[in-house]
Amino acid sequence: MRFFLSASCFLATIAVSAVALAIETPLPMDQAFRMEAGRDGSDIAIRWQLEDGYYLYREYLSVTGVGGKPLEMATPPGVIKEDPGYGSTEVYYGTATATVAGPVTGSLNVTYQGCQDGGLCYPPTTVEIDAATLEPKSDTGKSGLQTALQSQAAFPLVSKAPKAADSSSIRISDQSTNGVVGSLLDRGGVLFLIVGFLGLGVLLAFTPCVFPMYPILAATLTREGESLSTGRGFALSSTYVLALAAAFSLFGVVAAWWGQSFQIALQSTTATLLVAAIFVALALSSFGLFELQLPSFLRNRVAAHRGGSLMSSAALGFSSALVIGPCVTAPLAGALLYIAQTGDVVLGATALFALGVGKGIPLILMGTFGSGLLPRAGQWMERVRQVFGFLFVATAVWLVDRLLPAGAGLLLWSVLAITFAVFIGAFDQMRPEAGGAARLAKSAGMLAGLYGVILGIGGLSGATDPLKPLATIAAARSGDATPARVIGKDSFQSIASAADLSSLLKADGPAAPTLVYFTADWCVTCRVIERSVLPDATVADALDGVRLVSVDLSEITEANQSLMKELQVVGPPTMLFLDRDNQEVQDTRLVGEITADTVTVSASSAKGQLR
Amino acid sequence: MITRRNLLAAAAGTAAFAAILPRMAFSQEITEKSVFYDPDAPVLGNPKGDVTVVEFFDYQCPYCKKIHPMVEKVVREDGNVRLVLKDWPVFGGASIFAAQAVLGAAQIGKYEPAMEALMKTTGKLTEEEVEKALTSTGLTMQEIAAAVNKHSAKISGLLDRNYSQALAFNFAGTPSFVIGRTTFAGVLDEKGLKGAIAEARAA
Repeated sequence: MRFFLSASCFLATIAVSAVALAIETPLPMDQAFRMEAGRDGSDIAIRWQLEDGYYLYREYLSVTGVGGKPLEMATPPGVIKEDPGYGSTEVYYGTATATVAGPVTGSLNVTYQGCQDGGLCYPPTTVEIDAATLEPKSDTGKSGLQTALQSQAAFPLVSKAPKAADSSSIRISDQSTNGVVGSLLDRGGVLFLIVGFLGLGVLLAFTPCVFPMYPILAATLTREGESLSTGRGFALSSTYVLALAAAFSLFGVVAAWWGQSFQIALQSTTATLLVAAIFVALALSSFGLFELQLPSFLRNRVAAHRGGSLMSSAALGFSSALVIGPCVTAPLAGALLYIAQTGDVVLGATALFALGVGKGIPLILMGTFGSGLLPRAGQWMERVRQVFGFLFVATAVWLVDRLLPAGAGLLLWSVLAITFAVFIGAFDQMRPEAGGAARLAKSAGMLAGLYGVILGIGGLSGATDPLKPLATIAAARSGDATPARVIGKDSFQSIASAADLSSLLKADGPAAPTLVYFTADWCVTCRVIERSVLPDATVADALDGVRLVSVDLSEITEANQSLMKELQVVGPPTMLFLDRDNQEVQDTRLVGEITADTVTVSASSAKGQLR
Repeated sequence: MITRRNLLAAAAGTAAFAAILPRMAFSQEITEKSVFYDPDAPVLGNPKGDVTVVEFFDYQCPYCKKIHPMVEKVVREDGNVRLVLKDWPVFGGASIFAAQAVLGAAQIGKYEPAMEALMKTTGKLTEEEVEKALTSTGLTMQEIAAAVNKHSAKISGLLDRNYSQALAFNFAGTPSFVIGRTTFAGVLDEKGLKGAIAEARAA
């Protein structure tokens, strides 16, 4: 035997046992069951000659015609094979027949399965028979094996089990540790994970959600006045960023720990109003109405004035996390799911902290190197402070906007723009000898005033989008002459619960892939998607034939929250792609920054198209 | 131990290998490691044993279930045998369902109870009966489904490899065994199994 062991291929060293079997060596299937087809009038009769000691199952006999359509077939009753403790089955010994009602055209596929009594069970075999000649097609001898392979390739199950668990019979793909956290950990351990999240954070620093941070930090720095140096700028901005990152990871952990609803709680009216109030206070202080400081009893304990402003910078950073907190991004979602699934709070929190610091790195750079550029004193500085004051108010308006009835937000923006115009001197008289800067300021003010007027008109006419204040008027004029297919928020059918989703998926006739889009009014990234991704022509092409369903999370209800939980959605914006069998297609889920390219790629794999 | 019988049998095996070469085109490489030490296949018996018994089986195959207590008894009494049960679902949907569910249970450390529960079932199974057998062990279908979904790539990969191996060995059906360097198609009785283990150990 040793001689054979040295052979390079393992298979070649394998011997087929001839003796050790308890029973006869099983025959090849085509010898154990010899099949032939004959004609009986217009019917086709299929007969099997069975070797002694072999049987065929009655219930596994089947005949299909062209296109896999089952054909009507008659089989005689078989013998009930009782095996004490092993149940009863109906089988044929000796001969078996199946009669297919004619006339049959084209070809038919006959499938059968049997066993060697007491020894071995064969996989099902399918033989294709030409209905005209009744001869088996030449290459069908091995088809039994092929059939088995196909049935295995199509694994129906994975799915079957969750049926009991969820009502919508939608299967979501693996969202687990294969996610961003798990894969980073696998590749290089904890350090790699932290560096990875830092890097992801830097990439996310230039997304709309983080933009409000820049003016907020700049405004904080200007409040320092003359004492602002590069080192001071570094200290203040790092404090701000560290507090922001700490809050970010804290909220993340609590969110994952308490179920994902906590994160939504940050969007509650109370939280929103509170944060808006903080920004209004900051604004008033920037206008010089009062000096914003910590209460005096606290201030005395914090060594000096400098420590005090570090503290307020930290407090500001902490509350700023509330502004970017609800912006769901892929790494955030990954980290939250990781915490929820593994319970590893420390690692999840570390990842989130790194993500927050990463988002803040450009802020620190700006705070450190930009500090030199800001004016130190004089009238100019007053102006700059006022401009930043307006930015604070703008943040507050942006926060409150979502709580107001449609149109009211636009009116607020209008008031803000006009007031800004007044403050910057748009309506002051300008002397002929005024310099370039003053003239630029005046034109900026005039533009702001004009914009404010347009916003006011738009708001009164029911528009809601500050960037399209005249949309309603334009739409009224152009009637309903809609151009080619353009996908907007209206193209989606809105649903509110898991029950809605499942009835929608069931109701629609022909099977189609589905896109489920989670969005919300307060989700900045979602607005970007609705404004510039969905209307893209390539996206319209890619989503052609895809059922569009949206879940509006502007108001959190128990129903949409449980839907989120069921589909393991952390927050908006998230896009899920289901195939025709309502199974989520692996690697197609989009979270956070979504582009026309990613939508196109995911949609085509949901449609089963090759890329 | 080169006996005439061994040589003849080995020659037959080599011939069989040559005959199935064309079919091997779609299967992955079959190595000793992939047959005996597939990292995703659960191992029973003594994991450090010097002989590995590989059984290709189906949870609906009556003979597989009938001989299962005997196979376990022989492995237990020997004490130095690794037993690897390779799912080869040949009886359609319910078999695939059962195989996936048990391999899912394996991912949460419940391989043996789940496998044993299905081995104790009678004859043909429906998916409901598979669920009933599994839940009788205290497992819930929710946790099994979660495990299967979570590890679906791993489980499908294992089932695909099992399938390719069964084909490469030219097995006619279930049960079939690979013990040492010898394959056995069909059931083994206690004497046959013990003999095969002894022969593998001697080789």
